[in-house]
Parts: sequence; structure tokens; C-alpha cells
Amino acid sequence: MELDSLKYVWRTLEAAPASESGPDEIHALLQRRSGGIVTRMRRNLTGELILIAATYTPAILFYFLDFEGRLSGIAWLFILLLTMLAVYFYRKNQLLKAMQCTGCSLYSNLRQQITTLKIYIKFYVWSGTIMIPVMFILSWLIIRWKFPAAPGADLFYQLSGTPWWQHPLIWAVFLIPVTVGIYFVNLWYVHRLYGRHIRKLQDLLQEMEEE
Amino acid sequence: MKLVQEHRFLLYKVCRLYCFTEADRQDLFQEIVIQLWKSYPGFRGDSKFSTWLYRIALNTAISDLRKQGRRPSTTSTSEIPPSLPDMTSPGEEEQQLQQLYAAIARLSDVEKALVMLYLEDKPYEEMEEIMGINQNNLRVKMNRIREKLRKMTKEAAYGIR
Repeated sequence: MELDSLKYVWRTLEAAPASESGPDEIHALLQRRSGGIVTRMRRNLTGELILIAATYTPAILFYFLDFEGRLSGIAWLFILLLTMLAVYFYRKNQLLKAMQCTGCSLYSNLRQQITTLKIYIKFYVWSGTIMIPVMFILSWLIIRWKFPAAPGADLFYQLSGTPWWQHPLIWAVFLIPVTVGIYFVNLWYVHRLYGRHIRKLQDLLQEMEEE
Repeated sequence: MKLVQEHRFLLYKVCRLYCFTEADRQDLFQEIVIQLWKSYPGFRGDSKFSTWLYRIALNTAISDLRKQGRRPSTTSTSEIPPSLPDMTSPGEEEQQLQQLYAAIARLSDVEKALVMLYLEDKPYEEMEEIMGINQNNLRVKMNRIREKLRKMTKEAAYGIR
């Protein structure tokens, strides 16, 4: 097979499908949802944001209004967490926006996708890892502040005459393995989601760079 | 919309190269049209419209890996389909084209893009603009692809020359 001899055939025979797209069909296509990977990632992110807002809002209202407002501190904690999550969602959205440059050359677009996706993955893993112990510590601090335990009331509240939660060592012993575990779970999950995609992009880039 | 209409055959060809079922082709066509629509406000006319169009179409086809699992392997000669499923084979030219598509189906995504641009008779300067690969490297790659296609068709005994 000689490519040059096929140029004419290629240019004269069209690859039109059985039913061609007229202006109405093209207009209808534009009304449909995009199935591109980045668009889907952004849609999922919006879904997560809505879910978080829908979960946190009733909780915030509950702690503000119930218990005669004595637990409003917890509501403020939730607002603080919501603010942190807003920053997290904003950053992720910015990265997703920057992920594709379809009007750029194939090489530039691939490089940009790989670089941005790597930053996205790193951010996903680290923010997911840090957020859990931060949430946990803040929750416990506010619970302990609002519900101080009677000394000696519980084996877990007392250790050598001091409430156990005041011992940084105990917190470290408990939180370090949990945080490390969460880090690895996040790492596994993010590579399960995007690992194949990023490998494929890297292979393509490598192929383009080869001389 | 008018521009998409005018260049729809180019888009069909891209879909034909990168997808192997009618449903996948329709999905890809839709995705390319959406990307064109979204990117058009950013088209400043620095390059030819066709260059920009090829970039959008090929970037979308290559980056969009949704149907990856359903794509045929690019390694086994025995897997070369004799023809694409919904094509008729009336004349010799059509038959040649079917063989070409069958052979191209086994190339990598980057090689497919290069073959398409080559068959469209794009000069190396424009190919460089679209692909982002320098012309010397493009020439080397094209020679390798030609050789690869010759070898593949020989192995599969499709119209050996």
C-alpha cells in the first residue's frame, strides 16, 4: 500500500455517514451534554459541591437553631469547613479549566493536560489527606469545649489524671497512622480514576517527542 | 454553524479514523462540534481556519479516551479488520480506501493524525502547526509510517505492492 497513490482516493471519496448532519442536526448536537473527560470531571465537581452544600446547610441551621443556640460553635465550625471546601472546589475548578487547550497544537495540548492533571492529582491527594485530620481535630476540640467530661467519668477521657485528648502524643499516635492510611487510600483512588488516562497521555507525548 | 456544515466531511473523516462503531463516531462528532462551538470565540485568525479546525478535531479525538476499551488493539496483525462494519464495497477505489482504513486502524493515535494530514495533502509547515512537531521529525515519522503500512498490508496480504 502506497500512501501517495491513495491521496486521490482519500480526497474524492468522502467519509460521510448514512445520515448527514444538516444545520438542524448540528444545532441539536449543541444542545446535548458534552461527554468529554474534562467536562465530565467538572460536572462531577459541581455535583460534589451541591452535595456538600445540601448536607452542610441543614447541619449548620440545626446547630444554630436547636439546643437554644448553645451549640452554635459547631455551626461556625461547619461554616469554617464549608469555606475551606469552597477554596478546595475553586482550585479544582481552576485546574480543570486550564486542563485543555483544544485550539493549541496537539503537542502543547498534551503537555498542558499532563502537567495540569499531575497538579490536580497532587492537590486531590494532599487536600483529601489533610482535610480529614483537620476536620477530626476541629470537631473533637469543639465537642470537648462544649461537652467537658467529668474527670474520671470515662476510661478514655482520663489518663494519668489528665483528659486523654489533651495528650498530643495520644493524638499523634492515633492520627498519624489514620492520616498516612488516608493518604494511601487517596493515592490509590486517584490513580484508579486517572491513572490510565495519564499513562495514555504520557505515551502519546513520548511518541511525539521520539526522533 | 455554517463553518461546521462546510467542513463536516473533514470531521467525518476524523471520526472515521478514531472510532470503530457508528455510535462512537456520532459521540465523537458531537464532542468535536461542541468543542468547536466553545473554542470559536478564542479563534483569533493567527492561523488558517482549517489549521485551527484540525487542531480542535484531532485534540478532541486523541484526548477523548472514553471508548478506549472498545478500540481494537494496535499490535496484532491478525486483528486487522478486512473492512469497517458499515461500509459498502462497490468499486476498486472504495476497496482501496477500506484497506487503508483497516491498516490505519492499527496505527497509534498520533500516527493516525499524521496519516490523515498527509492524505489531505497538508504541507509539512501546516502539519507542524497542527501537531506541534518539527518538520524534520515529521518527515522521519512519515517515512516510518509509510514503511509500517507497507509491512502491515504485506503481512495481512491486503493488496501487496
